[in-house]
Amino acid sequence: MQRKVSSVNRRQFLLGSGGLAVASVSASSFPVVAKPVSKSSLMPSPKGNRVVIVGGGWGGITAAKYVKKDNPNAEVILIEKNHMFISCPMSNHFLFGLLDYESLCYPYNTLRVKHDVKVINDRVLDIDLRSKKVVLPEGFIEWDYLILSLGIEYDIDDKPFYKDSLEFFPPGFTPGSEHLYLKRFIEEFEGKDIVLTVPKMPYRCPPAPYERAAMLLSYIRSEGLKAHLYFIDANPNPPVLKDGFLEAYKDFYKSEADYLTSTQVKDIDVAKKVVKTDKGDIKFDFASIIPPMRAPKLLERIGLLKRGQKWVKVNPLTFESEVKNVFVIGDSASTYLPKSGYAAHSEAKVVAKIVAGRIANRKIKGRIIQHGICYAMVNLKAAMMLEIEFIYDANLKKVKPVKREDNTWKVSTAKRYYEWAKGVWRDMFN
Amino acid sequence: MDRRNFLKLCSSMAVASMLDTGVIGRALASQGGDFKKYEKALLVKEDGTPLKVEDIKPHTTYIFFYPFVSTPAFLLNLDKEVGPVDLELSDGSKYKWPGGVGPKKSLVAYSAICSHQLSYPTKDYSFIDYYSPENPSKTTKRSGVIQCCAHLSIFDPSQGGKVLDGPAEFPISTVVLSYEEGKLYAVGTLGVEVYQDFFDVYKRDLRKQYGSSRKAKKKSKECKVIEVSKYAKESIKC
Repeated sequence: MQRKVSSVNRRQFLLGSGGLAVASVSASSFPVVAKPVSKSSLMPSPKGNRVVIVGGGWGGITAAKYVKKDNPNAEVILIEKNHMFISCPMSNHFLFGLLDYESLCYPYNTLRVKHDVKVINDRVLDIDLRSKKVVLPEGFIEWDYLILSLGIEYDIDDKPFYKDSLEFFPPGFTPGSEHLYLKRFIEEFEGKDIVLTVPKMPYRCPPAPYERAAMLLSYIRSEGLKAHLYFIDANPNPPVLKDGFLEAYKDFYKSEADYLTSTQVKDIDVAKKVVKTDKGDIKFDFASIIPPMRAPKLLERIGLLKRGQKWVKVNPLTFESEVKNVFVIGDSASTYLPKSGYAAHSEAKVVAKIVAGRIANRKIKGRIIQHGICYAMVNLKAAMMLEIEFIYDANLKKVKPVKREDNTWKVSTAKRYYEWAKGVWRDMFN
Repeated sequence: MDRRNFLKLCSSMAVASMLDTGVIGRALASQGGDFKKYEKALLVKEDGTPLKVEDIKPHTTYIFFYPFVSTPAFLLNLDKEVGPVDLELSDGSKYKWPGGVGPKKSLVAYSAICSHQLSYPTKDYSFIDYYSPENPSKTTKRSGVIQCCAHLSIFDPSQGGKVLDGPAEFPISTVVLSYEEGKLYAVGTLGVEVYQDFFDVYKRDLRKQYGSSRKAKKKSKECKVIEVSKYAKESIKC
């Protein structure tokens, strides 16, 4: 039988109480489907300083490193199913030959060797919020603090046609084989009509589909292909860097592309290669179908995501969920910042400070910055830039938002773009 | 330390800097700050002669390598007297920045390695640079600042490299200068150093440029000062 969740009023939820402590309900009052965890413990019981992080992407790796850096007494465990990190940001560069695949791949060994983080490469089967256990195939691990950085899943259960399209026309929004497969399609392409679809916001990395469309068109030109792109967007406009992208589609690539806005994908016939939309059917030779996205279903199973919700509700300043000392960062959470690897990285630094501070029983003073900066290519040489920042003054308890867009196309911005990525990777893997 | 004592310390340091760099180090270290003494290195022009104050054009970014032969630093003439400042780090620790040196106390020097994610000026590109009052940043509209274009961290060179905006969590470290009988020397650093991280992440690049990491870690004994616009093929401003 499920128990009722204590209510958290909006004021408490937004501002927390005293410093950054959010009014959270305790794990014992959280509705977890009762199921005994029969496996044995993989580690001794925690001593108040154990931080378990699930998910070794941009958020999880950063959280692991910075909890340890901010409080060397913390015992930090990172659980990630893959043995190698592969970056999703910069994958469009890989698709169009601007970066090697190896540039996107990093091992987890620096975290182990330099930062004394225990990295466990295994699947998480379950998480029991009541008994504070993460369940792996061989047993469970208990936590004092839990940070979940699980990224996204494609939201395709109620639209089965997306399942077929995933196999035939990969979206390339989760790292790894999708990108390798998609790149092969692009390199081998000899047909005429290409379809690229964008789901309604929110989804992972808002400028990425628009960047991919622009890079694809530039690639078509540079390769001398006689191709035409049907760019099907469920949104009325590019949600970020609108002016720069519209200039690309409406002026620069006018003869090579149709940009169809506010257009919903209704069905996909993968055998006949037809996308059916609310504005008509489009036949294609090759497609990259980007389905809608949601937080992983594991979060629903364990009770952090309510039925019908797609993203986990957290305190947008602390990223703490409704369960005390359980934090959700990155794409899975509904936060101030847009969903992106860099946002997850920035949120992880905030959470690391909070968790490290709680272990040491110290409050956070001064400013806490949630920073989002991203770039987007408009062709194979030039890029644009977007910055979003939320500065929280812990003393004044005020949030100051900053937004800057530079929609001009610059080759120098493309160089900054690569340096941007290298900088974050330097931070994550050093 | 109260203002009276603080001013007393600074004025004694200004006098001391005319005489003995060891005195500067002792004065800074006695405050419990993060002053770290390195080799005393003379700043010279490209032709090897000692750099004079009048050679340093106001609001122009110069680069030299200190405290190691591979670690870049900026030299700036802010064209105004810049006084001492108290700096506080996010962990609550504090240190005192002694202000500018030279006849007008307008000369300052900082590590040119961004304290956020270690971008630094290479011979190909400089993503981090100083923005003069005449040429403010087009993105942030700020001038008189050191700004890194990779992630838009902004530092104030007139206030000890304090973070003004962006994701950097602590100031860029100061290269402590000493002005003695018309000559300028670098004598140490103040603030949070990132040199070990720099050596770790750029190992391959440093090996290529200096032959080995060990050679890249040699201490500077004399520092050639060059305009960044002459050092880097492209200064990327934003």
